[in-house]
Amino acid sequence: MPKDSPVDPRGPRFSAWMTTVVLAVVLLTGWWRLLAAQTVLFAMCAFISLKLNPWGHVYRYAIQPRLTPTTEREEAAPLRFAQGVGFVFALIGTLGYATGLTTLGMVATGFALVAALLNAALGLCLGCEMYLVLRRYVPALARPQ
Amino acid sequence: MTGVWALLGALAVAGAIGVLLKVREGRISSRSTPSADLPAPVRDLLAPGVTLVQLSTTFCAPCRHAKVVLSDLADRTDGLTHAELDVTNLPEVTTSLGVMRTPTTLALTADGREVLRVGGVPKRDSLLAALRPHLP
Repeated sequence: MPKDSPVDPRGPRFSAWMTTVVLAVVLLTGWWRLLAAQTVLFAMCAFISLKLNPWGHVYRYAIQPRLTPTTEREEAAPLRFAQGVGFVFALIGTLGYATGLTTLGMVATGFALVAALLNAALGLCLGCEMYLVLRRYVPALARPQ
Repeated sequence: MTGVWALLGALAVAGAIGVLLKVREGRISSRSTPSADLPAPVRDLLAPGVTLVQLSTTFCAPCRHAKVVLSDLADRTDGLTHAELDVTNLPEVTTSLGVMRTPTTLALTADGREVLRVGGVPKRDSLLAALRPHLP
């Protein structure tokens, strides 16, 4: 997995707001193709690079220049881990909606929305805080780097 | 219509988790654990006086904030040392200590007795007040 350099922490917060909106639209409309697109986005950020996140580019070109510069930086590893957790829920959600298991789709999308909203509103990374618990049940997380 | 309820449910759950985590953030719980239970990687970090052993992982964003608070507190307080332990690949350590989230900070005496622990980013003043009786 290639490493990303640390980022301005306000970028991921903006991105989390956009993700929250996308997931809310999916819940309201059941439009699973949108959720599938979000799943691909999560996968690209988690497994390839955070630089592939289009919201990050929107932030850099349209929002960051209007804000006071900050020297604060956030490590990329927690962010990518969070994207990975989002990917798992979005994938389950997409499969649920696409195969007619709408309740499964809604529940999985709902979980992803909860995590995205907590990240956006409070800067809380649920997946990161839960890493120790997740790892206990998902051995594949062992030695990720 | 179900989608609207699902959305409202998700918003309510997020609100509840947010409130719960904010309330618990930095909360100090007093302990009195016998020293025999301490895992070796933690025991190796013990210094004279009280050692704040901060358990962190690679994926933990608030761990950096906790580190700033704790190392600054240790620098200004006699008999207090701060040490960070990366437990990303040490699940047996967190399991034996009963730690579920990072950062979690344990305050340990030189002989390995745990006097208190803090979940989340510690609040400097209340932590110092709780540590006072244990400092030389």
